[in-house]
Amino acid sequence: MRGTASVLAVAGALTAGAAHAEDITLTVWSHEADSKSKVAWRELAARNFEEAHPGVKVKITWYQKEPLFSALNTALRAGQGPDAFYIERDRVEYITNGFVTPLNDLINWSSIKPWTKDVWTIDGKTYAVPQEVWTLENFFNETRMAELGITLPDNKQLSQTEYLELVKKSVAAGISPLAAGAGDRPYPGAYMTQELLLKRLGVDDYRALLDGKISYTDPRVIEVLGYVHQLVEAGFYPKSFTTMTLAETWPYFEANPAALMLIMGSFYAGHPFTSDVPDSFKLGVMKIPALDNGVCNECKTAAVGASFAINSNSEHKELVADFLNEMATPEMGARWVKTVLLGTAVETGPIESDNPKMKAYLDEYNEANQGAKYFIGAPHQYLTGSCKEAWAQIINVALPANLISIEDTAARLDQACYRP
Amino acid sequence: MPAEAPEPRQWRQILDRVASTPWIEFSVFLFPAVLFYMVFTAYPVARTFINSFFVITPLGSEYIGFENYREIIFEDWVFWKAVGNTLIWSIVGPIVDVGLGLILALVIYSGVRLGAFYRFVWFAPVLISNVVAGILWLWIYNYDWGVLNSALRAVGLGDWAMSWLGNTSTALGAVIAAHSWKWAGFDMVVCLAALYALPREVLDASELDNCGWFAKTYFVIIPMIKRTLLNLTILAFIGRMKIFDLVWVMTTGGPLWSTETVSTYVYKRAFNWSTFDLGYPSALGSLWSLVIIVVVILLTRIVSSKERLEY
Repeated sequence: MRGTASVLAVAGALTAGAAHAEDITLTVWSHEADSKSKVAWRELAARNFEEAHPGVKVKITWYQKEPLFSALNTALRAGQGPDAFYIERDRVEYITNGFVTPLNDLINWSSIKPWTKDVWTIDGKTYAVPQEVWTLENFFNETRMAELGITLPDNKQLSQTEYLELVKKSVAAGISPLAAGAGDRPYPGAYMTQELLLKRLGVDDYRALLDGKISYTDPRVIEVLGYVHQLVEAGFYPKSFTTMTLAETWPYFEANPAALMLIMGSFYAGHPFTSDVPDSFKLGVMKIPALDNGVCNECKTAAVGASFAINSNSEHKELVADFLNEMATPEMGARWVKTVLLGTAVETGPIESDNPKMKAYLDEYNEANQGAKYFIGAPHQYLTGSCKEAWAQIINVALPANLISIEDTAARLDQACYRP
Repeated sequence: MPAEAPEPRQWRQILDRVASTPWIEFSVFLFPAVLFYMVFTAYPVARTFINSFFVITPLGSEYIGFENYREIIFEDWVFWKAVGNTLIWSIVGPIVDVGLGLILALVIYSGVRLGAFYRFVWFAPVLISNVVAGILWLWIYNYDWGVLNSALRAVGLGDWAMSWLGNTSTALGAVIAAHSWKWAGFDMVVCLAALYALPREVLDASELDNCGWFAKTYFVIIPMIKRTLLNLTILAFIGRMKIFDLVWVMTTGGPLWSTETVSTYVYKRAFNWSTFDLGYPSALGSLWSLVIIVVVILLTRIVSSKERLEY
C-alpha cells in the first residue's frame, strides 16, 4: 500500500513536471518577415530546438525592422517583451540601458567567428549572438561595363581618376552610373564617402573621426569630400536618389534602367540569385577606388548584421540561450549560406555552392576581398544622438544630392560630432 | 453691477435641488469617462510635463530643472528650424486649403453639371489615410517616372523636371501641396454646407441689383460665410501645428531638415537618437503644447469677438 502510494506520488510529480514543461513557450521577435529564406531558416531552427527539448515551444513573431524596434522600445521599457529578439549593432541603447543579458557563459562561442563576437563585446561582456555578416562591396553589371568598353585591372581596383572617368563615360553613354537611394534608410548614400574616408585616414584615424576626435575640417577629410563632390557633379547619384527606397534600388540596378554599379553590403548578393533578373544582368564585384593619397586603400567596411539578444527580464534565459545555440551550429551556418545566400557569423569551413552562378560570384567576391583589411562596423552603427542625425541628413543625403557645399558639410558635422 | 446674493428662500431651493440630485447615479455614469480621461489624457500630459525637468533613461532619472528648456531655446537650432517650417506650413496651409475648398464649393454651388460626381471626387482624398496619401504623392513626385515630371516632359518643359522632395527649396512646398490636396475636399464640404444654408432672398436681392457673379461672391457670399471660413482656418492652423504622419512618410523631415516639423523632431529625439532619454523630447512636447494652447486661446478670442452677422 505504502509502495503504491510512493509510485503514485512519483508518477504524480512526473506528470506535474511534464505538464509544467509543456507550459513553456519561448517568445522570439524577429525582423525580416519578408525574407522567405530567413523565415524558413529560423523556423527550422525553432523546430529542431523543440525536437531536442520536448515540452518547450518556440513562438517567433515576425516584423519589419521599424515596427519591431518600436514594439521593443515600448515593451522593454515596461519590463516586458519577448525572451529573445533580433538586434543590430546600431541599437546599442538596449545594452547601455540594461535590457540585454550578457551571454558570455550562456553561448557556445567556439562556433562563432571571433571578430563577430568582438562586435558585440562591450567592457568584456558579450550581448548578442551574431548571425549574419557582410562586407561593403562595389557591385557592377558586367554587361554594362562591357558596353562601356572598360576592363578592370587584375586587382579589381581603379584609381580615383579612372573611377571618375568611368562615371563620366557612363553618364555620356546614357547609363546611370549608380543605383542608390536614401529614401528609407540613413546609410546607403553615405557608403561611398565612408569608404573613401576609411581609405584616406586609415583604420585608427577613421575610428577617431567617428568618435569625434578628429575634425571634419581636417584637410584629409576635406580632400575626400572634394572627391565625392566631383563624383556628384559628374552625375554619380541618380536624380531620384533622395526618395528612392532600398527596395527600389535593386531593380534600378538589375533591370530598369539597369545602372552600371551598386554600392551595397554583400547581403545584396542573395537577391539576383533568387529573383527574376534580365538575362543581360551579370553580377560583378570591384573595389571602391584607390585614393591617390590613401593611407589604406585595401581597407573596407565589414559588419555584423542580423543578431539575437536575450531579454534581461526573460525567465528562461538558459533555455532561450540553447535556442540561440541551435541557430549557431556549423550545420545551420552552412545551411544559412546555401539557402539564404548570405555570409554567416558561424565557423563553417569552406562551403561549395550548388548554384553555378553563385559559385562564380563567390569566386569573384573572394578575389575582390583578397588582402582586404577590414574596419568592423558602419558609421550608422557607431554614432548616436545629434551626430547620428547629422550624418544621416548630410553625408547620407545632402552631400550626394549636391544640396550642400563642402565647407558647410564640414562645419555642420563638426557642430554635431566633433568633441575633442 | 454686482450680482445679488440669493434670498433665504432661494437658498432653500438650491439646497433642495442639491439634495434631490442623484449623485450616486451621476457618479456611476461619469466614472468610466472620468477614469478614461484621467488615465489616457490627464496623466500622460502631467507626466510629460514633469518628465521635461529630468533626464530620463530606463536606468533612472536625474532632476535637471529647466536645463532641457534652456537647451531647446538657446542651443537647439534644429528645433528652431522645425518651428520655422511648422509655422510656414501653419500659415500657408490653411490659406491654400480653405481657399481651394471655397473655390471648389463655389463651383459646385454654381450648379455645374455632374456636381455630385465632382463633390465625390474632390472629397475622396479626405477618406484616404495620410500614410496612403504620402505614398501616392511620393510616386507623383518621383523624378524618373512620376506623373508630375512626366507631364512636364510631355509638354516640353523637361528642364523643369526635378526631384521635388529631394530639393531643399521645393520639398516643403511639395509636402504642403500634397497635404492641401488631401484636405481641400473637407473644407469644400463644410463651405458647401454653409453656402446651402444662406438665405435665398439675400442672394436673389443681389441678383435683382444686377450684381455680377464675382461681385455677388465677393461682396455677398464670402462675408456671409466668413465665420465658417474663419473657423476652418483656425482648425486647419491647429492641425498644421501638429503635423507628423504625412511628413514622416514622405521625407522624414529631410533633406537637410527642410521639412522637419516640431512633431517629427520630437519623435526623432524620443526614438531615433539611440539614447532612450525621454526628458528632452518631453520638454519639446511641453513647450510646443504651450505654444499651441496660447495660439488657440488667441484665435478663439479673435473669433468670439467678431460681430454676429444678422440677416
